[in-house]
Amino acid sequence: MKARLAGLWRSMPLRLALLLVLLFTIVSLLSLAASYAVTQRSFEQAIRADLAQDMAGFRAAPGASALARLVEAESRETDPNRLILSYIGPNGRIYGNGAIARDNEGYHIVSIGAARAQYDGVYLTLTDTLYGGLLTIARSRAEITALREVFINILLVSLLPTVLIALSGGLILARRSKRHVEVIRGTLDRLTTGDLTARVAPGARWSDDLLRIGEAVNQMARAQETSVAALRQVSLDIAHDLKTPIQRVSVHLDDLDRAEATGEDRVEPLARARAELDGIAAIFQSLLQLAQVEQGDARAHFAPVDLTALCRTMIELYEPAAGEQGKRLICTLPETPAHVTGDRALLGQMIANLIENALRHSGDAEALDISLDQTADQVTLNVADGGPGIPAADRDKVLQRLYRLDRSRGTPGHGLGLALVDGVVKLHRARLELIDNAPGLRVVVTFER
Amino acid sequence: MLLAVHSVFLDPYLGAAFYSAVAGAIQICENTGGGMRGWQNCLTSWLNLDETPMKLLVVEDDTTTSTYIARGLREEGHAVDVVADGRDGLVQATTGQYDVLILDRMLPELDGLTLLKTLRGAGNATPVLLLTAMGAVEDRIDGLNAGADDYLVKPFAFGELSARVNALARRPQALEQETTLRAGDLTMDLISRRVTRAGQDIDLLPREFALLEHLLRRKGRVQTRTMLLEAVWDISFDPMTNVVETHISRLRAKVDRPFDSELIQTVRGAGYRIDA
Repeated sequence: MKARLAGLWRSMPLRLALLLVLLFTIVSLLSLAASYAVTQRSFEQAIRADLAQDMAGFRAAPGASALARLVEAESRETDPNRLILSYIGPNGRIYGNGAIARDNEGYHIVSIGAARAQYDGVYLTLTDTLYGGLLTIARSRAEITALREVFINILLVSLLPTVLIALSGGLILARRSKRHVEVIRGTLDRLTTGDLTARVAPGARWSDDLLRIGEAVNQMARAQETSVAALRQVSLDIAHDLKTPIQRVSVHLDDLDRAEATGEDRVEPLARARAELDGIAAIFQSLLQLAQVEQGDARAHFAPVDLTALCRTMIELYEPAAGEQGKRLICTLPETPAHVTGDRALLGQMIANLIENALRHSGDAEALDISLDQTADQVTLNVADGGPGIPAADRDKVLQRLYRLDRSRGTPGHGLGLALVDGVVKLHRARLELIDNAPGLRVVVTFER
Repeated sequence: MLLAVHSVFLDPYLGAAFYSAVAGAIQICENTGGGMRGWQNCLTSWLNLDETPMKLLVVEDDTTTSTYIARGLREEGHAVDVVADGRDGLVQATTGQYDVLILDRMLPELDGLTLLKTLRGAGNATPVLLLTAMGAVEDRIDGLNAGADDYLVKPFAFGELSARVNALARRPQALEQETTLRAGDLTMDLISRRVTRAGQDIDLLPREFALLEHLLRRKGRVQTRTMLLEAVWDISFDPMTNVVETHISRLRAKVDRPFDSELIQTVRGAGYRIDA
């Protein structure tokens, strides 16, 4: 219970509520005090005016005895708790309903007679000498005292319930929002411990900001789930793509075993096993390289690269191999260097992969077009073949790791070439487009300068 | 290539190595007896670099790999020491006088790159071939920056390793200030860029000329596909297509096929070589 209260105390809504209550209380107290002071002053002024008026009335009496009679007559009709009239005549006699006494503590108003009882309450007093005597008029400040009570009552009746209601409202709100936050926290806990299907289910009364946080958490969870699923798929694909050649290696080793026993030729199964292993190593190498390209560290040492020269080197490198396959590389390169900022080795490999891809998948088409164009602010590389092309629906998929069109299963390659091209393009913040060359595929890479 | 030849004279270490090698050669020649005839014999045997034994250190923690490397290199006539962790490797490399260090990148106790940096920091300039299971451009740059002279990605064929170790030995690659390279009855004039064999002119494309020149300058040494790709095309990745083979076969069609003997030899599982 104590811990729960402590938890609530630290919660945002309760703190906000308390702060507001405190602010409201201070403002209310200040305004009440101010209006009390103003009212009190105007009451006092009214009393003082009354006193002056009373004094003026008595001063109208023609002589000392007339004044004494008037005071006597008036004082008989007045309540000494409200108004005290006291005239000490020239003869020393006291007329009226009270007298002023003085002791160590100051002046008091006391009743006339042997009792000399003191009247409670505070009075405002006006004294004047008239006809050789001393006239004192005192009016009670009881109304002002009553006023204070009224103000205290107002305070109790209005402020206290407000504070109580605000406090309990704050507590309720705090508990509610704690519940909502708890829902988000629980979801995050489940996500952390590996349950990527966990989602925040917001209630109908959730506040906007919590709704937004919940939605962001869900978005993050969805992204993570997708990428983990993709990763899992890639792992499965890798396992599958590697198990097949490993199986073949195992077959070739068996053949080797048998060849040893029967005295058959051992060179062939040995060469085959080695070739399969080279293939496996190549897949791993490509996967590693792809991962590193996607990591983006290579950007640290980007330098100007002349794509014209690089294309020329690559075309020259592949030209005899293409010729052997009965293909022609038709290239259109600019006369001048086309500089982009990048990694020469990776860009070279990108061009090589595009050429190899075109060579492999161009079917019966003979000519492959490779061209480079440059304008003031961009350089565009085009590699086009006249083969069967890629159906529009598959064009995004061929950029994924290890994805191969069904009809390409028989051709060499391991479905990583275009994935690496995509990786290198992204690393260079360039744009990759796969376009229908009608017939065939046209790959366009655009570098912004 | 010209750059490499120049650097022999410009780079203080290479220069020193060159002169000490020349001095060594002179000493060998003096031992084998004087006279013009003896000098020539001596020079030929000295230039037949694959046969010159070297003292090598292999620092590799995987015993299967290190045994395989050491056995192969010993069969080639080299003296090979093997250590299995980085700390021993550093001690051994500092105390022993090795011609080439073969260094695995990931090692227990002290990793390969740190070992290499420490070694270079102490002024030791023994040529180093770095072996690694990684192989992206980044790692290559890291390795070369740390002071490696060459870089080989696992898994590798022994032929590739052997060819690279021999290339690293940093002995002068024949006295090639001369303007003419020769092999058998083939002559390459580097100034007129004319190639003739048995008195017949051979017309080569610029890249074919570069390829032949590279092989001629390293007569007697195996050049692997990747070494040729790096040297002739400045390419550090391994293309899927057999591009080097097709270039070599085009070169053979011009240089070898019309004649009686084959100059460009295929070395199984390794690469190509023009015999000295």
